[in-house]
Amino acid sequence: MGIETLTLDRSAIQGEEMVLNIGPQHPSTHGVLRLQVVTDGEIVTKITPYIGYLHRCFEKHCENVTYEQVIPFVDRCDYIASMNNNFGYAVAMEELMGIEVSEKVHYIRVIVAELNRIASHLLAIGTFGLDVGAFTPFLYCFRDRERILDLFELLCGARLLYNYIWVGGVSHDFPIGFVEKVYEFLDYFEPKIQEYNDLLTFNKIFIERTADVGVLPADVAISYGVSGPNLRGSGVKWDLRKNEPYSIYNKFDFDIPIGTGAMGTVGGCWDRYYVRIRELEESVKITRQALDQIPREGDVHAALPKKIRPPKGHVYSRTETPRGDLGFYIISDGKPKPFRLKLRSPAFTALSCINEIARGWMIADVIAILGSLDIVLGEIDR
Amino acid sequence: MIRYFSNIWQSITTLLIGMRITLVHLAKARKGIVTLQYPEERWPRPERNIGFSHDSYNVIRSRLHVDMDDCIGCLKCERACPVDCIHITTVKVEKGTDIPEANHVGITSYGTQKRLLVTRFDIDMSECCYCNLCVYPCPEDCIFMTGGPNSSKQEIDYEFSEFNRSDMIFRFAKVPKDQVEKYTPPPKEKVKGDVAG
Repeated sequence: MGIETLTLDRSAIQGEEMVLNIGPQHPSTHGVLRLQVVTDGEIVTKITPYIGYLHRCFEKHCENVTYEQVIPFVDRCDYIASMNNNFGYAVAMEELMGIEVSEKVHYIRVIVAELNRIASHLLAIGTFGLDVGAFTPFLYCFRDRERILDLFELLCGARLLYNYIWVGGVSHDFPIGFVEKVYEFLDYFEPKIQEYNDLLTFNKIFIERTADVGVLPADVAISYGVSGPNLRGSGVKWDLRKNEPYSIYNKFDFDIPIGTGAMGTVGGCWDRYYVRIRELEESVKITRQALDQIPREGDVHAALPKKIRPPKGHVYSRTETPRGDLGFYIISDGKPKPFRLKLRSPAFTALSCINEIARGWMIADVIAILGSLDIVLGEIDR
Repeated sequence: MIRYFSNIWQSITTLLIGMRITLVHLAKARKGIVTLQYPEERWPRPERNIGFSHDSYNVIRSRLHVDMDDCIGCLKCERACPVDCIHITTVKVEKGTDIPEANHVGITSYGTQKRLLVTRFDIDMSECCYCNLCVYPCPEDCIFMTGGPNSSKQEIDYEFSEFNRSDMIFRFAKVPKDQVEKYTPPPKEKVKGDVAG
């Protein structure tokens, strides 16, 4: 018996890898998503996301409806932040047609888009807490999100799928008293951000659970095309509202919060989460400035075309939604229906990097990582 | 060792900070912040008649309703619908005359003389996506969502679940069943056209 027989043969003791199936019907996959997780014990070695359970042929369908009729379908892509999606489509179409909308329309669009950004981030924060086991913050976030939905119901009748921002304008003006109600909401909402911080952000258990977990380095994020709060969480200062200002975002004074690694490594789940909390404050700041400056007089229908028939050509335009760069590539052949419409989904790119960042972590951390990416399956599958 | 105990200390203090918020919330608990017992009580809908100077803005999403006495059969709503849930059939009739046996009124409330008799106006509310796009192009303002600014015309109706899917198709045309055939164009013409073509 030599000493050789006593050396550890790793391949002999290593067990078989197990394939674990998460979803498609699972509450923490944020929709109908199936993750095939290959695990070694409890360590994840590979994740393959299988998507397409919510596929609705959005892009093909758009080729069969007129340009106005695309907007209800755009609503249903990112159903958490419909206003921002409408906004992106309207900006792309106006660039294609060369329409200049009135000042008032710009302000209305910015206000509703930022309000919807707050609502979307509140949902992201709440469900992220839910994923890592904190139920209470979810209820507090939804309490305040409800107020924004009430404002939107007052504005356009719908609570989730608005069809409010149209090509060349908005469907109708603010009702009388709406501006005051938004002010009232902002006054109510600003102190509540501290409440979320106390409840969840600086909770030691939450920090231990999320900081340093699922680190997304900046170079990996850029090479995967990740954008929005996920990219800013990795410490990259990139925000289309600042870097490529569309609409009237260059008129406002706001910061771009980035992940600093205050609780661990830059780019961890906690950084991505905290960027969203800080963006709430920035959105409040933008909304306040827009409310102060909005012109009281003005027609919101002035640039609204009777029939949308853009000239031959193509356009790629991108805007900043709560999830990142939402791009629209539209080819027009001069007919009232688009020849081709491609949507560049920010949630899709965020999901695509999950194998890169979740490898080597425990199964429970995969749920936290998925929650911190804040994906919307309606947009990924579209 | 110090780290171990400071971690425990931080966990307890930060938990207590969070607990304080929930306790304050509990102390402030009053009627209205707890779950609403839905069928008995309903969340108040926002007041929309707040001095809006424009009546044509239809800012509510509920069941679609059509005022058939005003409908001129122009098909604008059918064309605007992105999901094709509106189906209209029209027949040419004498301009501006009433046809009592078909419940047809010749002149709309806006004073337009009707040229067409609408024999079929079906809206499949199970397909409707509540986008409101059909409401805006209507020249006679006869298609609208119930309630809200239109509550004088039709009471709000947003709870219209049915056991059978076919019951979700709302048929608005007023022409009696036995009269429909009378107004359906005879199929002979179609054959003629085909031969000529």
